[in-house]
Amino acid sequence: MTTETEATPTRDLESMEDIIIAENVDKWFGDFQALDNISMRIKEHEIVVVLGPSGSGKSTFIRCLNRLEEHDAGRIVIDGIEMNDDVRNLNAIRSEVGMVFQQFNLFPHLSVMNNITLGPRKVRRMPKLDADALAMQLLERVGIPEQAEKYPAQLSGGQQQRVAIARALAMQPKIMLFDEPTSALDPEMIKEVLDVMQELARSGMTMIVVTHEMGFAREVADRLIFFDEGSLVEEGTPQHFFENPQEDRTKLFLSQIL
Amino acid sequence: MVDMPAQNPQRIVLPPHRERARRPRIVRFREWARRNLFNSRAGTALTIITAAILALIVYGVVYFVFVDANWRVITENRWLLFAGGYPMDQEWRLWFSVMFVFLLIGLTYGTWASLGRRDHLFIVLASGFAILLLAHGGAAIWSTIWYLIAVGLLYAGYAIMIRMPREAGPGRTLQQRSVAGLLIAALPIILIVLLAFGGARPRELEGFVLNLVLAPVGIAGGLVIAIPLALGRASRMRAISWTCTTYIEVVRGAPLLGWLFVALFILDDVIGGELIVRAMVVLAVFTAAYMAEYIRGALQALPGGQSEAAHAVGLNQFQSMQLIVMPQALRISIPPMVGQAISIWKDTTLVTVILPLRELKGNADSAIAQFEFTPDRIEAYVFVAVVFWVVAFIMSRISQRVEGSLGIGER
Repeated sequence: MTTETEATPTRDLESMEDIIIAENVDKWFGDFQALDNISMRIKEHEIVVVLGPSGSGKSTFIRCLNRLEEHDAGRIVIDGIEMNDDVRNLNAIRSEVGMVFQQFNLFPHLSVMNNITLGPRKVRRMPKLDADALAMQLLERVGIPEQAEKYPAQLSGGQQQRVAIARALAMQPKIMLFDEPTSALDPEMIKEVLDVMQELARSGMTMIVVTHEMGFAREVADRLIFFDEGSLVEEGTPQHFFENPQEDRTKLFLSQIL
Repeated sequence: MVDMPAQNPQRIVLPPHRERARRPRIVRFREWARRNLFNSRAGTALTIITAAILALIVYGVVYFVFVDANWRVITENRWLLFAGGYPMDQEWRLWFSVMFVFLLIGLTYGTWASLGRRDHLFIVLASGFAILLLAHGGAAIWSTIWYLIAVGLLYAGYAIMIRMPREAGPGRTLQQRSVAGLLIAALPIILIVLLAFGGARPRELEGFVLNLVLAPVGIAGGLVIAIPLALGRASRMRAISWTCTTYIEVVRGAPLLGWLFVALFILDDVIGGELIVRAMVVLAVFTAAYMAEYIRGALQALPGGQSEAAHAVGLNQFQSMQLIVMPQALRISIPPMVGQAISIWKDTTLVTVILPLRELKGNADSAIAQFEFTPDRIEAYVFVAVVFWVVAFIMSRISQRVEGSLGIGER
C-alpha cells in the first residue's frame, strides 16, 4: 500500500507533493455561510487535525473533500483531480478518499465482512475471494478478526468504528477523512479507536481528522487547523498551538476544552 | 429469579413466590380468581355479567355449528366454491399448487423463523377443518391424501431448513438466496401450472382459486410498480416526482370499487384482453399506490448517513439504492405492507360485485341460489368468512415471524 512504513515524527514533509489543494472555497446552506474563503494545502503523508467549536464549518469542510457536500465557489483538487460536476472525476476522487463518520454508518443489514468487501467488489470489481482475504487482513489490522461474520448491531461502539475504518481502508485510499470518529463513543472505547488511527498515521496515510481529542492532536498531528464561524482562523504545529496560540478566538477555544 | 444459595444445599429457604408455586393448581386458581374476578362487589357483578354473555355467545356458536347449521351447502358445493369452472379433469394442477405453496411455507419458516407450539396447534386445527371439508359426505379419499401429502411437504421442507446452521456464512447465504429465489419464482410457476400446457383458460379460474390467484398477482405486481414509484416521488427531478405524486394521489383518491368499473368498461376499449387480466392490472395498480407511500415513509425513516457512507465507499447512486437503501427501506416497510396485502386479499371479493368473475364469495352466492340450499345463506357466508380469516391469519403470522428473525441485523 505504501512504502513509508517506518515513518518517524521528523518526516521530511517539505519534499512531498500537495495531495489536497483547496482554494477560496465557499459553502452556503441557504442564507447561512458555512465556509468562508477557505484555502489550504495538505501534503502527502501529512496528518492534519481540524479543531473548532460546533457549527464552525470543520465537518462541512472535510465533507467537501469527497463531495458529500458540494462547494459553491473556489476550487478543490485532490491528487491532481479537479473536483467538479464530472462524474468520472467524482468517482475517481471518492475511491481515493476514505471516510469515517461520527455515527459509524455501518450497513446494518450486512455482516461485518460484507460491509468491508462491498466497496472493493462493486466498485473495484475485485473477485470475492480476494476481497474476503483483504477484509480479513484489515480486520486483523484493526484487531477484531473474530467479528467477521457478525452484524454491526452485535458489536460495541468501538468495534463498530474499527470496522468502519477497515471498510474505508478496503478501498485502498490515499487519503482518510475522520469526522469526529470518537465523539459517539463511550469513554472506555475511545482509546481502541485512537490506537488504530495512530497506527494508521504511522503507516504513512494522509489523514485529516476532525476531533476534540487533544491528546491525539498533540501526539500525532503534523499540523493543527482551527476553524471558527466558517473561517480558517489559525494553523500551525501542535507546539505552536498549545504553547503559543496567537488569535484570541483560538485561546478562548483552547481554554474551554483543555 | 432462582436465588438458591448453592453453597449450603441443606438449608434452602424457599422464597415466598416459590412456596406459593408449590401449592396445587386449584388452590392457586382459586386465589387468582378471588384477586382478579371477585375482588369487590362491583367486580363480582361484572364478572357474572361477562360470564353470562360469553356463555350465551359460546352456546350460540356451538349450537349453530354442530346442531342448527346445514353444512351440506358447503360439502355438496365443494368444487363449486373452491374451483368453480376449473376443468375437473385437471384437478392435479390445483393440488400441485397447494403442495408447492405448503412446501414453500415450510421452507420459509425453516429458514427465517421456527414453528412454535401455537403454530403447530394452528396447523392441526386448520388441517382438521380442511380434512372435514374434503372428506365429509363420502368424497373420494384422494383429496384427503393429497392434502396430507401437502402438510407432509410443509413439515419436510421445515425439517430440512431448520437443521441448517443459522450462523452467517456462505452456506447460510446460499440457503437464504435459494429460498428467496423460490419465493419470487413461485407465482409464475403456479400460474404456468394452472394455465399453461393444457391447463385451464384464464376465464375458468373461479372460486377460491381465483382469490388465491388475484391477491398474489395484485400484491406482487403492486410491489414491482411501487418501488420505482416511491423512488420517483422522492426524486429531485420535478417532472418525475410530480408524475409519481399524481399517480399516487389519483389512484388513492377513488375506491377500488371504482377502479374495477374502469377495468370493466374503460380498459376494455384501451387494452381489451381477458377480464381477469384487467382485474389483475387494476389490483396491482391500486396496491402500488399504497405500497409506494409505505416505501417512501421507510426511505425517509432511514438515516441519511447510510447513503453518505455508500457514496463514501465509492458506490454510485444506483448501487447505493440497490444495495444499501432499498433493502433496508423494504424491511422497515414490511408491517404496513402486510397490512396492505391482507387488505387486498379481502378486497378480491369485490371482483364479484363489479365484474362477472366468480370468486369464492360469488360462488357462495351461486351455491345458495340453488333451490335446496336457499335457507343456508348464513352457513355459506360464515364459511366464506372463516376461509378468508384463515388465509389472512397465515399471512399475518408468517410476516410477524419472518420480521422478527430479520431483525437480527437491525441497528
